[in-house]
Amino acid sequence: MNEADILRQYRKAMFLTAYPHKTAHLASAFSIAEVMYVLYRKGILRYRPQEPDWPDRDRFILSKGHAALAVYVMLRDIGVLSDARLSTFCRPVENALGGELHPLETPGVEAATGSLGHGLGFGVGCAMAQKSDRSEAQVYVLVGNGELGEGVIWESVMAAHKFALDNLTVILDDNKLQKMGLTSDIMRITSWADKWRAFGWTVEEVEDGHDVEALTAALSKKNTSGEPRVIIAHTVKGKGVSLMEHNPDWHFKMPYKKELKTFMEELDISEQELEDAKVVLDDIV
Amino acid sequence: MQKSYLMTLYEIAEADSRVQLLLADSGSGYENLFRQHLPERMFDFGIAEENMVAAAAGMASCGKIPFVYTAGAFLSYRSMEFIRDDVCLQKRNVKLIGMGTGLGWSTLGPTHHTTEELGILRAMPGLTVLSPSDPVRTAECVRLAYEIDGPVYIRIGMGGEPALYDEDDAPRKGENRVLREGKDAVVFATGTILPELLAAAETLAEAGTELQVVDVCTLNPFNEAAVREAAERFGTVFTVEEHSVSGGLGTAVAEVLAAKRTQAAFHKIGLDNAFAKGYGTQLEVRAQNGLDAAGIAGQIRRLMV
Repeated sequence: MNEADILRQYRKAMFLTAYPHKTAHLASAFSIAEVMYVLYRKGILRYRPQEPDWPDRDRFILSKGHAALAVYVMLRDIGVLSDARLSTFCRPVENALGGELHPLETPGVEAATGSLGHGLGFGVGCAMAQKSDRSEAQVYVLVGNGELGEGVIWESVMAAHKFALDNLTVILDDNKLQKMGLTSDIMRITSWADKWRAFGWTVEEVEDGHDVEALTAALSKKNTSGEPRVIIAHTVKGKGVSLMEHNPDWHFKMPYKKELKTFMEELDISEQELEDAKVVLDDIV
Repeated sequence: MQKSYLMTLYEIAEADSRVQLLLADSGSGYENLFRQHLPERMFDFGIAEENMVAAAAGMASCGKIPFVYTAGAFLSYRSMEFIRDDVCLQKRNVKLIGMGTGLGWSTLGPTHHTTEELGILRAMPGLTVLSPSDPVRTAECVRLAYEIDGPVYIRIGMGGEPALYDEDDAPRKGENRVLREGKDAVVFATGTILPELLAAAETLAEAGTELQVVDVCTLNPFNEAAVREAAERFGTVFTVEEHSVSGGLGTAVAEVLAAKRTQAAFHKIGLDNAFAKGYGTQLEVRAQNGLDAAGIAGQIRRLMV
């Protein structure tokens, strides 16, 4: 399978996982598909699927916790979660996966996110602990552009600079949208690079945040600046389904009947697959 | 109490390299011990409490034991959601120490008072809530917090609190302690207001009313049996706290009494649906709010009738 197919499969699995529900944060999850793929499957994150709590692992924290679908499907793809567990997403069953991440409920998840702005401070703490242990482990925190409206983010940005956390990389999923529209309209902010740079961070930009090669190049580059690093990935919210792309209406919504056809065509989904997605699988252990 | 807290923490930190002191530009001088001898274990986050609490949770997730130390008001109000989501929800081994709680910052007024925080912290699942009454108990609470594998909040004063206990005879594990025996009514009280209550009890004894005074240190989990038994034995129950009468010790006791459907008379003494008024020393501000010895004695005398 080529990479385009793998990524279509990835989005398809996210959609089918969410399909039984009336709402889901699909567009936010689709926005970060390539970033997630590069982190987990292009050799950026060091982890052990058989030992999710491996103490020397790199930490990945999804601060925009509502994109949890992207994490769950990735954890399934790398063998941390089973198909059966994935099928419990938001279901009223024992041991279900929730709409936001929770480390005590799901292996491979580092922090409980969902209320925006929390993940970066948590990651700062992880990076400080790794540094004090002289560990080689890296900390990656994925934040959204809308989330940068939270004041605490900038507290964390200052702290990371103060403590010179060069083992911390933030990936900013800059899809320009937030729930009610453009961030440039809602907060009158059009660029982020200058803000982070002003706080002493090393800034890199990836013009196409869905370009696997460009993301891989940026993320594999060793940070030698002595400062924390942010990689701004310019992305498209809802990427992968034309209806949803760059359209704020899709922040927390699933397709109606007539829209469903587009999803099925563009993600290559059959009627049978839709039917199967409704079933919570038995876990065969 | 600040000295007691930091000296005890320093002893623990010397023996266990996982222990860290986190500040938000909130030093009191005693942290110099850390600055001089354990500088790699002290982190000043600047005036940014929310991030400090989130970072503490991150540190704990990597095996550290952070003790987060700042003014009680800023710690509990400003970083509330971080205490909830990052510390309690994830059961992180983080210790939160609010100093100058109650009316400790007595010249600075209500923005600096910590007089409602128990209402929400007591409701946090899994958060041990400790409210020591003197420096000896404070030291014991710090040791207890270190032993507990999970989140703990300790509510301490500003400084200069008198010792109520000898070190050899201090209550252990945050247990209740009867500080004065009486027969006419029982008073449950918590924190640094205990000396005021003891003085009030002395005054009332001279007039023939004998109060049983109980120092309650642990508000969560709460010793419900002690309240049930005392209600039965004394028939009249008071609570005294340097806190709103809603949400803190008074509410904790009320919950027990309501569940028991007791006939006992019950009165809460504290701030009643009000921010504290006035400025001055802590004692002077207590007096302006009816929470010094005379004020407490007067309220009890009226309510006992």
